[in-house]
Amino acid sequence: MTVPGRRSRLLGLVLALLVLLALLVLSVMIGSTAIAPSVVWDALVHPSSDIDQFSIRDFRLPRTIVGLVVGMALGVSGALIQALTRNLLADPGILGVHAGASFAVTVAVGVLGVRDPQGYMWFAFAGALVVTLMVLALGSTRQGSSAVVVVLAGVCVAAVLGGAREALQLTDPDAFDAMRSWNAGSIVARPLDVVWPILPFFAVALVLSFAVAGPLNAMALGDDLAVAQGVHLGRTRVLAIIALTLLAGGATAIAGPIVLVGLMVPHVARWIVGPHQRWIFAYSALLGPSLLLASDILGRVVMHPGEIPVGIVTAFVGAPVLIALARRNKASGL
Amino acid sequence: MTTGAGVDFGRRVLTVRRRRFALRLEWRSVIVCAVLAVALACLAVLALMTGSYQLSPGQVISALTGGETGLVHDIVVEWRLPRVTAAVVFGAALGVSGAVFQSLLRNPLADPGLIGFAEGSYTGALIVILAVNGTYWQLVGGALLGGMATAVAVYVLAYRRGVQGFRLIIVGIGVSAMLHSLNTWMILKAELEQAMSAAAWNAGSLNGVSWDQVAIGGACIAVLLLLAARLGRPMRQMELGDDAAASQGVRVSATRLWLIVVGVALTATVTAASGPIAFISLVAPQIARRLARTAGITLAPAAFVGALLCLAADYLAQHVAPTTLPVGIITVMLGGGYLGWLLFIEARKRL
Amino acid sequence: MTMNPLRRRGVALAATLLSATFVLTACGDDGEDSESAAAKTSTTAPVAPKTRTVKADNGSIEIPGDPQRVATIGNTTLPFLDVGGEPIGLTAESDSTVALLPEDQQARYAAATNLAPSADEVDMEKLASLKPDLILAQIPDAEFEKIEEQLQAIAPTVFWGLDTEWKPFADAIAEASNTTDALSAQKTGFADKIAKLQETYRETIDGTSFVDISRWESSDPGTFAIADIGCSEIARDEVGMDFPEAAEGEDPLAYTALPFEQLGDLSKYDVITYPVDAEGQPTEPFAAVVETNTWKALPAVKAGRALGVFCPGNNSYGPVLQYLDSLDRALASLPAEE
Repeated sequence: MTVPGRRSRLLGLVLALLVLLALLVLSVMIGSTAIAPSVVWDALVHPSSDIDQFSIRDFRLPRTIVGLVVGMALGVSGALIQALTRNLLADPGILGVHAGASFAVTVAVGVLGVRDPQGYMWFAFAGALVVTLMVLALGSTRQGSSAVVVVLAGVCVAAVLGGAREALQLTDPDAFDAMRSWNAGSIVARPLDVVWPILPFFAVALVLSFAVAGPLNAMALGDDLAVAQGVHLGRTRVLAIIALTLLAGGATAIAGPIVLVGLMVPHVARWIVGPHQRWIFAYSALLGPSLLLASDILGRVVMHPGEIPVGIVTAFVGAPVLIALARRNKASGL
Repeated sequence: MTTGAGVDFGRRVLTVRRRRFALRLEWRSVIVCAVLAVALACLAVLALMTGSYQLSPGQVISALTGGETGLVHDIVVEWRLPRVTAAVVFGAALGVSGAVFQSLLRNPLADPGLIGFAEGSYTGALIVILAVNGTYWQLVGGALLGGMATAVAVYVLAYRRGVQGFRLIIVGIGVSAMLHSLNTWMILKAELEQAMSAAAWNAGSLNGVSWDQVAIGGACIAVLLLLAARLGRPMRQMELGDDAAASQGVRVSATRLWLIVVGVALTATVTAASGPIAFISLVAPQIARRLARTAGITLAPAAFVGALLCLAADYLAQHVAPTTLPVGIITVMLGGGYLGWLLFIEARKRL
Repeated sequence: MTMNPLRRRGVALAATLLSATFVLTACGDDGEDSESAAAKTSTTAPVAPKTRTVKADNGSIEIPGDPQRVATIGNTTLPFLDVGGEPIGLTAESDSTVALLPEDQQARYAAATNLAPSADEVDMEKLASLKPDLILAQIPDAEFEKIEEQLQAIAPTVFWGLDTEWKPFADAIAEASNTTDALSAQKTGFADKIAKLQETYRETIDGTSFVDISRWESSDPGTFAIADIGCSEIARDEVGMDFPEAAEGEDPLAYTALPFEQLGDLSKYDVITYPVDAEGQPTEPFAAVVETNTWKALPAVKAGRALGVFCPGNNSYGPVLQYLDSLDRALASLPAEE
């Protein structure tokens, strides 16, 4: 595989940024009701209490912002987990993020009687954090975490929690009913004042991610070589895990379980830029939200007048890309 | 697992040691199978004796020997006995199915779920339950068709001058994710009762299993298990690598396809009869390998562990939980918990 | 590596054991016919002196003349409670549904033995130990087919498919459980109520376009639906109010989750009805709609022509009557046309 030079990588990054910007604009323009571009402009610049303006400000703008934030978190967290476990199949989902979050939400709904979807968020966040840390602890040895063991630990924890969750849901129709829509994964109707408190966590995590990108790059070639280059293995791992947990946990807390974005985006990024973590992270941070927003826009138009939750669409958009990548001769090797 | 410190022996000695080592392992396999069989028999008796309808051991025995009529006979012979038999036969089938896949893909995480079978059969079942409100046999057909079609689609999509394990897994993940989303969507759009009934099917349950289902399922499974036993040897050879196996005269491509067919068909039979009973196929071969201390995956211990796991889980599902639960929920928790515990122990050992 | 004899023996052992199980299976199958025939005679033997035959989706069933120990499975529980039935065993309803029942029905619900957390996974042995003389069931077809034989072995079982309309369903349940007196009282109340509504609000009904919108626990976030099935269907078909209806052969409008953006399209209706709880507050899922600025800006909402209506259920006469009472109060509160 020819590895593109720094210049063309930078050019590609600018291109990815432009695509993202275009999608941000489209996401505000396109919806299930036809609203003229001039009204969209007025809604943002000259607010009034026109019904169409409410649609822009109350519904389309927040979901666009949420999509941007969640997509970025999912993309970067996927890149982190793949770099950390040196496993191209790693997805934040396999670390039990989804299992932890949805178990916590089921307990909140079924046992504690929480009925307010905004109240679910902190349960989901806490559940995702605790379970991810549990999986990583279970899967780690003194030699560091072996990819297979971590993945196996993730499967085990997810299985146990999944079984407990199902038992709760099948014995409590109310909980089952409430969890149906959460399971789909959506970026709609997340009031921004509920989302803001998560953002500082994301900011910290993003800074950490880029800080550990260099060391992770060195570790890709093997721990011994990395140590020889002066990389502090333990510290790098701990920081990467913190960043990863915050990003994946936060994204799941806001949007519910969204599949394939975290797995696929880093693959595409690696395919474009080759094995350079810092570039992969940067591309993932732009491609993640692009994929999510494009899927969301698609979900608004294909079933008009209804909509499809974004979590459903990402799977349908992401799977063919993943399969096509797998069928290439060199399936994005490290 | 350490394989002894004898690294410095010459090649010949090592070979001899290995052979002797292997011999001891085989004895262990047989003993393990025997112990598992005894445990299985004890548990089966316990399961026949207990239930929420109070029956004395005497009544149960007389029902089994044909001395009872009416409800007591029905409960023991028509309800409890097929259920116990189903747990044993289906559990064994799942154990073997998982063993075949793990050996085939040389991956401890492989099971037929990886190539989308479980999600595909759920899609089929959902369509029958939600869209058609079909009959029981339509449900069986839908689940089979959905699972098989998915497995074939994954195989075809992963085919590119042969099927390679890694590509099969990636394609399986993609297709599974897609179907999973579709299933979530259908559940979301369904009426609550039907959605819950579909979800209960998906959890995998032996409730209400009848002799018809056990007989038909058992017949298919018996044939498939004999087939699996015949494939056992080339399967072990292929674990050493395709080239090594080919040099010993194994027809690698054909064998792989057959193994996939047998593995999927075993799971399909169980799924059709009782819904997907999760995790046995994943965990049983792993537990069996550790109990029998074999280097690779072996079929017989996996079958026994699968049967024992399934029967124990069904017993717990009926009698220990506050309300009866689908057996699949218990297998997931038991199997996942045990595998996690093993992992934890092994991780500590390595310190 | 070659397969050594011992392993081969292990495989053979397993195969033998499994074929033994299979033979056992086959034996059990052989025995079945004569035994289940015996079971049938034994269940029909101890019934009350007078038996009758009812027709249902599982054929003609011979049941006791006056069943005393009735077990309900699936959707039959609530209609049976509603006609004053006292089930001895039932499959659980959700807590939120039970909370909406009148107190006496809640008490009878609590007194019954819980056979399963939902209509799936019915504990057959527990059901058998209750010794019911009649079982009523409404569950998905595939599920019933699987447990039909077991249920019939316990007691005569009457089954209805999920697509049964609520009125014939109430009739059938009352007939099977011998509670037709209670039902006819309810039916009279229903007819009177419909007539009263039609008379009192004749002008409103003739000249007003209504729309009923809703949101459920399972609705996608940020969506609502036009509820053309459920309670407002009764207001449309029985009272004659002008509620929207899906075109012939199409899915009900309620199946489409509409994004909040489309709340603005409700401007074209004169009156909007929406779901409230027993206290008159918007139901929890629907509160999300009421909070939006778009809802507040709707002409009908501004003019006080958005009416909260309480709909505790639509599968039997009791809850439907509660709905009609609530609709009555709501229509009475409707401000006069400007």
